[in-house]
Amino acid sequence: MADIISIAKSIFENQKAEMIIGYAKATKEGRTRPVVVRTLDEVKELVLNSFCLNNLSTYLTRKENKGKRVAIVAKGCDIKAIVQLIAENQIRRENVYVVGVKCSGVRRGFEGHDSTKIAEKCITCNVKTPHLFDELVEMKGEELPGTDEKAESIVKLEQMTANERFAYWEEQFERCIKCYACRQICPLCYCERCIADKSMPRWIETSPTKRGNFAWNIVRAFHLSGRCIGCNECERVCPAGIPLSLINRKMAKVAKSEFGYESGMDPNAPTLIGTYDVKDKEDFIR
Amino acid sequence: MMRIGVFVCHCGENIGKTVDCPKIAKEAVKLPNVVYSIDYKYMCSDPGQNMIKQAILEHKLNAVVVASCSPHMHEKTFRKACAAAGLNPYMCEIANIREHCSWVHDNVEEATKKALDLIRMTVERVKFNYPLSEIRVPVTRRALVIGGGIAGIQATLDIAGAGFKVILVEKEPSIGGHMSQLSETFPTLDCSQCILTPRMVEVYQHPNVKLYTYSEVENVEGFIGNFKVTIRKKARSIKESLCTGCGLCVQKCPIKKAPSEFDEGLANRPAIYVPFPQAVPNIPVIDRTVCTYFKTGKCQLCKKVCGRDAIDYDQKDELVTEDVGAIIVATGYKLYKIDKKARDSLVKGYGEYGYGKYKDVIDGLQFERLASASGPTSGEILRPSDKKQPKKVVFIQCVGSRDPSKGFEYCSKICCMYTAKHAMLYKHKVHDGEAYVFYMDIRAGGKGYEEFVRRAIEEDRVKYIRGRVSRIYEKRGKYIVKGEDTLSGVPVEIEADMVVLATAIVAQPEAPKLAQTLGIPYDKYGFYAEVHPKLRPVESSSGGIFLAGACQSPKDIPESVAMASAAASKALVLFGNEMLEREPIVAKVNENTCVGCFYCKKVCAYNAIELKEIRDKKGNLVKVIASVNTGLCQGCGTCNATCPSKSIELIGFNDEQIYYQIKAL
Repeated sequence: MADIISIAKSIFENQKAEMIIGYAKATKEGRTRPVVVRTLDEVKELVLNSFCLNNLSTYLTRKENKGKRVAIVAKGCDIKAIVQLIAENQIRRENVYVVGVKCSGVRRGFEGHDSTKIAEKCITCNVKTPHLFDELVEMKGEELPGTDEKAESIVKLEQMTANERFAYWEEQFERCIKCYACRQICPLCYCERCIADKSMPRWIETSPTKRGNFAWNIVRAFHLSGRCIGCNECERVCPAGIPLSLINRKMAKVAKSEFGYESGMDPNAPTLIGTYDVKDKEDFIR
Repeated sequence: MMRIGVFVCHCGENIGKTVDCPKIAKEAVKLPNVVYSIDYKYMCSDPGQNMIKQAILEHKLNAVVVASCSPHMHEKTFRKACAAAGLNPYMCEIANIREHCSWVHDNVEEATKKALDLIRMTVERVKFNYPLSEIRVPVTRRALVIGGGIAGIQATLDIAGAGFKVILVEKEPSIGGHMSQLSETFPTLDCSQCILTPRMVEVYQHPNVKLYTYSEVENVEGFIGNFKVTIRKKARSIKESLCTGCGLCVQKCPIKKAPSEFDEGLANRPAIYVPFPQAVPNIPVIDRTVCTYFKTGKCQLCKKVCGRDAIDYDQKDELVTEDVGAIIVATGYKLYKIDKKARDSLVKGYGEYGYGKYKDVIDGLQFERLASASGPTSGEILRPSDKKQPKKVVFIQCVGSRDPSKGFEYCSKICCMYTAKHAMLYKHKVHDGEAYVFYMDIRAGGKGYEEFVRRAIEEDRVKYIRGRVSRIYEKRGKYIVKGEDTLSGVPVEIEADMVVLATAIVAQPEAPKLAQTLGIPYDKYGFYAEVHPKLRPVESSSGGIFLAGACQSPKDIPESVAMASAAASKALVLFGNEMLEREPIVAKVNENTCVGCFYCKKVCAYNAIELKEIRDKKGNLVKVIASVNTGLCQGCGTCNATCPSKSIELIGFNDEQIYYQIKAL
């Protein structure tokens, strides 16, 4: 299997894409940063290692990239987002050249930020070998230790009464400072005008008050239910440390157990929201 | 500057008893921008409407709130009254203080407080109303009728008679439907074919009717007044324009043993056949599944004998499109087949009656063929098994109907009457025969119906036994019918020569598929749903699509014909104008913020969301976004609720109206 640099070269040489979205070495050792490579000279910047944590698919829907032939380096989890974006008409399959990464897991954080453990999402990963790609590249990684601590917290959440759960989330959301980093990083928050930015009338209070915070975070969770592909980026970038992926994973769990639906697996599968079947269960709504 | 008038209706005692109307009228005038307020006993009455008109003129009102019953009842009335006084009708809003307040509460003080809240909310809402005008769409004044049974025939003739073109599509090779199979009809016992066939011929000869037989509706696009219909003309293997209907091919066909659909399997037909002598059109069709040529490539006897060279083995299905403004669905029914092979998964069935196993246990339509002069026995009642005259016949009603445990919950409605008719016809033909009827209740509501059943019992001596049959089994050439007489409380056992089952009426098996093609709702049994069971019984919830006959629920001939004429008159109402006016309450896309995720398209029940390309000045594609077809949109608002970025709004229910309405609470 060819390495990432020779793959990138051949993409430009064979004119498969106008640009490549990938990972480059960051200024500090043990970190990576997203990079957009546009020329053959720049491809040497590209790296692929277990610090390649970001989900780069969020750049696919940027205005400057829309409608262009873009190549992207994407792990299985990132490809789920690409699949979902195709299903939601945001990108066209023929416009995106997917360099799928055979991945053995990425680190939980960058150097100095819990980087010795494997990321939680990797522990339950079902797409270590990508499910949609144009070309494959292998990531050379080492065995990383780690436990799926987050999965336990879903159990904790489910054991709470409705009132306890409400109080729990109220406490968590109280820390929100409305920086909207979660929205900016999310590959599926591609709306040009977010409902949070709608004025006349303003449905969601913009000031970081208890009510406004609750409204924002719950609306975001609703908008992601049946869509979130579990890349964990929102939680990673949250400066307030709100367990955002927990609420999303809980919604995904319900989608799976009640409707047998898993987002980001098949671009042609009917989406969970917007598809109706008379056999749909309603008994979990209480 | 808004000048709002509030009009509070007592609705006699309906509202007045629970809500203190004079008090809320006095309070309402204190609300910001409300300049006039009054209460009255019946706002919808002429004097009430005049009060609104006068107040608009005298107080220069530019918005009106009527606190009364549900907008479903009188919104139109009040909007028209406003329009008569020169105010845009969409500047009038209803605060529902009857269904939402007085009818559901009994505490006067609390109800009064709530009524005032509802008024305040509506006042805040109406401040964001703006004048709207009706949407006008052109009407294609041609109708499509799907199904050529008696209902479809009637609707076709009515519309054609009014001077409009009609396209009639029938999936079988001939029109006529089930009525053409019947022997005599209740309660007059006149010959079914004698009264039907003139109508069939009239359809064929009518200059306004375009008939497609052996054809099916493949696809329907468009909306009320403007449908585009694709019809699949199935390959008949006959060139219709050349065929004279001489019937030589039918006579010469070596295949003689295909079960006849028209005779319900009691007789056979050739591979090339005309369903029955009076078929319209009188053009044969080749059943490719049994034809020797299609199976082995040899024979071609029909081609050799045809003097007109009308046989065309290579004929293919043909797709034709037609533009129509209204569609009448008259696809009829099927009988519930209770043999194991065709048993409906919805119900458990009646294996214990031996239908399909015993040749002489037949259903109602098979008995019609036995009794019919054009049937396999030329009208003589003979057992299918040994062609002997049965001396004892048992008729069983409600096989599958009114049986929640094993069959369908509904009543098939026509079986009481046709069973009485069957028993009567049998007694008229077999004078020394005995006829027994097992029944649950006798439902003979209808002109001359009860008298007809009494005649069967009293004059023709048909023995009615109230009770169900538990089992039928064969014993030495007889059929032992075991049942119970619940009136005397004793078990009954009858040695019958033949048993006739009045099996339930069920929807056509393809009914749900057609409903999905048309975009009309259907119930769990596959019967098409009307908009309102009492006041709009022949309209589907999709504009311009009307229902006639047994596709909506079990019906007899007079009812089907009446419904067909009603559906035809609904289509004619539509055709009465060249342009169609409809409410402007439709969805509207914000083209700046829509990102084209098309969740709105997925949830739209009316296929009203279309794709629209946004291009820059140079013609480069900027984005593909949603766009609303205002002809199809029914203003349900599902798209609004689904849109994640709030980029689609319902005109008349826009975000600001809803927001400030809630905020006023």
